[in-house]
Amino acid sequence: MKKTALFTIIGLIAMSFMLPTGPSASQIIQKVDDNMSSDTRITESQMIIHGRRNSRTITSIGYSRGKYDNFTEYLAPEREKGTKMLKLKDYLWIYSPSSDRTIQLSGHMLRQSVMGSDLSYEDMMEDRKLLDIYNAEIEGEEEVDGKKVWRLALTAKVDDATYHSRKLWVEQERFVPLKEDLFAKSGQLLKRTVMSDIKKVDGKWYPHKMNYKDMLKDGQGTDFVVTKMQINVPIADEVFNKSNLKK
Amino acid sequence: MRLAFKLAFRNLIGAGLRTWLNVIVLAFAFILIVFYHGLNSGWNEQAKRETVEWEVGQGQLRNNGYDPYDPFTIADGHGRIDNPQAQGLEPVLIRQGSIYPDGRMFSTFLRGMDPNQKVLKVPVHLLKDSKADFPVLIGKRMAESAHLKQGDEVLMRWRDKHGTYDATTITVAGIFDSNLPSIDAGQIWMDIHKLWEITGMPENEATFYISATAKENMDVEGWTYYNQASLVQYIDDLAEMDKIGAMIMYGLLLAIALLAIFDTQVLSIFRRQKEIGTYIALGLTRARVVAIFTVEGSMYSIFASVVGMVAGYPLFAYFAKTGIGMGETPANGIATLQRIYPVYGVGLIVSTTALVIISATIVSFLPSKKIARMNPVDALKGKLQ
Amino acid sequence: MIKFLLKGILGDKNRSVLPIIIITIGVSLTIILSGYMRGVMGDMIDQNARFDTGHMKIMSRAYAENKAQLPNDLALLGVAQLKEELKSDYPEIKWVDRIKFGGLIDVPDGENASKGQGPAAGMAMDIFNPESGEDARMNLTSSIVKGRLPSKPREALVGSDFAEKLNIKIGDEVTYMGTTMNGSMTFENFIVSGTIRFGMPAMDKGAIVIDISDARQLLDMEDAVGEMLGYLPGGVYDDEEVAPIVKSFNARYANDTDEYAPEMVALRDQNGLSSYLDMVDYFAALFVAIFVFAMSMVLWNTGLLGGLRRYQEFGIRLALGEPKGHIYRTLIYEAILIGIIGSIIGTAIGLVGVYLLQKYGINIGDLMKDSSMMMPTVLRGKFTPELLYIGFIPGLFAMVLGNMLSGIGIYKRSTASLFKELEV
Repeated sequence: MKKTALFTIIGLIAMSFMLPTGPSASQIIQKVDDNMSSDTRITESQMIIHGRRNSRTITSIGYSRGKYDNFTEYLAPEREKGTKMLKLKDYLWIYSPSSDRTIQLSGHMLRQSVMGSDLSYEDMMEDRKLLDIYNAEIEGEEEVDGKKVWRLALTAKVDDATYHSRKLWVEQERFVPLKEDLFAKSGQLLKRTVMSDIKKVDGKWYPHKMNYKDMLKDGQGTDFVVTKMQINVPIADEVFNKSNLKK
Repeated sequence: MRLAFKLAFRNLIGAGLRTWLNVIVLAFAFILIVFYHGLNSGWNEQAKRETVEWEVGQGQLRNNGYDPYDPFTIADGHGRIDNPQAQGLEPVLIRQGSIYPDGRMFSTFLRGMDPNQKVLKVPVHLLKDSKADFPVLIGKRMAESAHLKQGDEVLMRWRDKHGTYDATTITVAGIFDSNLPSIDAGQIWMDIHKLWEITGMPENEATFYISATAKENMDVEGWTYYNQASLVQYIDDLAEMDKIGAMIMYGLLLAIALLAIFDTQVLSIFRRQKEIGTYIALGLTRARVVAIFTVEGSMYSIFASVVGMVAGYPLFAYFAKTGIGMGETPANGIATLQRIYPVYGVGLIVSTTALVIISATIVSFLPSKKIARMNPVDALKGKLQ
Repeated sequence: MIKFLLKGILGDKNRSVLPIIIITIGVSLTIILSGYMRGVMGDMIDQNARFDTGHMKIMSRAYAENKAQLPNDLALLGVAQLKEELKSDYPEIKWVDRIKFGGLIDVPDGENASKGQGPAAGMAMDIFNPESGEDARMNLTSSIVKGRLPSKPREALVGSDFAEKLNIKIGDEVTYMGTTMNGSMTFENFIVSGTIRFGMPAMDKGAIVIDISDARQLLDMEDAVGEMLGYLPGGVYDDEEVAPIVKSFNARYANDTDEYAPEMVALRDQNGLSSYLDMVDYFAALFVAIFVFAMSMVLWNTGLLGGLRRYQEFGIRLALGEPKGHIYRTLIYEAILIGIIGSIIGTAIGLVGVYLLQKYGINIGDLMKDSSMMMPTVLRGKFTPELLYIGFIPGLFAMVLGNMLSGIGIYKRSTASLFKELEV
């Protein structure tokens, strides 16, 4: 009897070594990163802004290269048509056809919302890697929409993170985030992103629908719907040139 | 000269109603001038006092990056000096933030001040008594526009010195009633220690310091000192403008009163030619006769000053005591007083009396000059000239 | 009879010229002072009415609730239709549209970058249509420091301090950046047609004034308006006229639960103006009353003097056998004629004076050179209908009263003593 007990224990210990241990939090984030990023990407999308009185849909096409460079041209409605936005590392320029001017956004303007959405330009500007800003740990596992997910808690390790902590729900099977909460230092929930409609694009899983919501304000937030996505297609260098804004 | 006064007095009293009509009008002008000036200096004094008590203190040492009229400068226009308390400086730190009453964003300025401060009248000491986790103080205008009441809780969001968002629920611990919109509209007052803590700023970090003692100047690199006089200069300017405006008004009233005296003088000289002729025949010099008539004219103003003081005194005293309700008018950050207590200086009374007497004398003299040109014989005969 | 008296008045300079001159001066002074008092005392109310509150203001309920934040996203819609209704329901009221907006002004440096930015305090009103009266109401032309009013689309006035700081010249282009009613980002270039100084530091640092049509386009506010201001025909706020309008208008929407339904607010109920309004009314009336009273005293006195002057003449007339009653009556008739003549001339002169005061004002800026503060330094008069008759109270009645009193002397004195005045 003693023997069996001993064997059982040894066996259990041995088994535990042999069991495939889950990935660490940073590995998960790394994997998400790998999945979600690509050398280049061209995205056609719609942004649906739910206002207090009405909703608006804004269509745009975005070109991105690497982590830092992004060029967006708005296609509709008429009011936004021809407006272009170029982000290169720490700079953000907006070109408006009505004024035919390129204006660099800085300071105060960056805190404004993008096209009246629940997203601020600043939110778009953050391009450091999550792992460079946050320490991550797995808080637990749960199910979201019938899928098994890890719940990751990210806490800033640098001083100048816009959001002091985040929570990220990552689907275990495809390494796609399904939900993200952004918190203030005090722990107050500020913004929430819910991702859905995950589709495969060129071997990578990518959510095609996202809802951003400023949790402090009333309203339904802003929907972001990808209508077409191409990844790793060549994009000419000129696209990411300031002179492209005025074209 | 005594004779002139005696004669003038008798003549005026003798003329009865005509005299009193003139005197009443002139007395009105007198009362109005004194009253209006009193109101003006009352306003000036009070507006300055309120501004000093609620906003300016004895002077301010402002960070050079800060411009009170440009909210964009708040982000970077702050700094720190060593041991400001030793120099009698009370730090005030302004940061930007938002509150979310009714789920709508409301941009505000967070103003931190020491609850133990003695330099301003803003009742930040109330923050000490509050049991709330994060008590704040707002003014009545802010309370109205953000729909907040005492005891209400509302979510506030701000950024710390690194730009990281932070948010918490604040409690309205008190609502103050100030005449100054500039420290009320859009402002949330809190303990500066708390503000330093939540923004991660070091102790004594400030947008500006308020001086507890009057100083003419301070020389601190990166900061500019504004003495009290310069900070309330605009109130003097406003009062000055108002004074000029009022001057036009009572100038007109005085003109009417003087017109009456002038008319009376013309008539009395016209009707009393025989008397004038007699004076000259009796050996009085013409200058002397002119003087008699001039004195008679200016006697109105002496009567008027006396009547004005006697009749005006109860009025002046009443308003000085109870004040005059002005309502509440927002005027671009200028102190708006709900009640003005007129202030009457001795100088005001003396100068007004002098103004009335001198101007009355001048208008009395003008028609009297005619006497000098009169032919005494014709005058004596009462021949019209 | 009147003809005869008129002949006498015109013929005998002694009996007419001086009294008429004095009445004229007195009446015109009364009118000018009353107009001035109304103007200066009511200036604060008037300024509020013209700049911000109107005599009444229509906003959407939600906008009214949050009006401190210039919430154009909550603006009133269906303006054209509402205006039609207002026009038929309250035909005498003048309605004007105003849009206030925030944002940013960016000044290009001529190349590809900005030479500076500043917060914008935007105001839009109907500038292009001269019939709107907005130029005069907002005092635009007289507040312009340099340049002129915008006269075509995409022209703007900017705050003079801002222009100075960033060295903006007339004809330069600035870009406005902000958000539309729907929250879209909006950009527009404006040619600076002039710089303006309102005398309020916050405004002078960031004001941008554009035509309402430009603002509608800029902010996607076609058929929408932030605030619609109503003005009474006389240009002077009158509670008794406004209150029933507000009541009847709001009653129509009483059962409407839409938070964007229009809501009308009287001037009195805005900006805490009610008590000030009461005070102004009280003081203006008091001062005008004092003045009219004072003037009456003076003209009464003139009447008395006028009567006294003519005792000799009365003596002769009595000697010729004219009854005392007749002399007394002609004296009064003459006084009435003189009073009317003087009052009419005086009122005319006074009204011209008030008109000039209202139009040009008295610029006391030069008297205040040391002033560190910017403010409007022009004192203005204000025409009110009461000015048309107010001068007649002292001019006619006081004059006649004075003559009546002095005329009593005719009865009191014996014919002989009056006649004695004749002795040569």
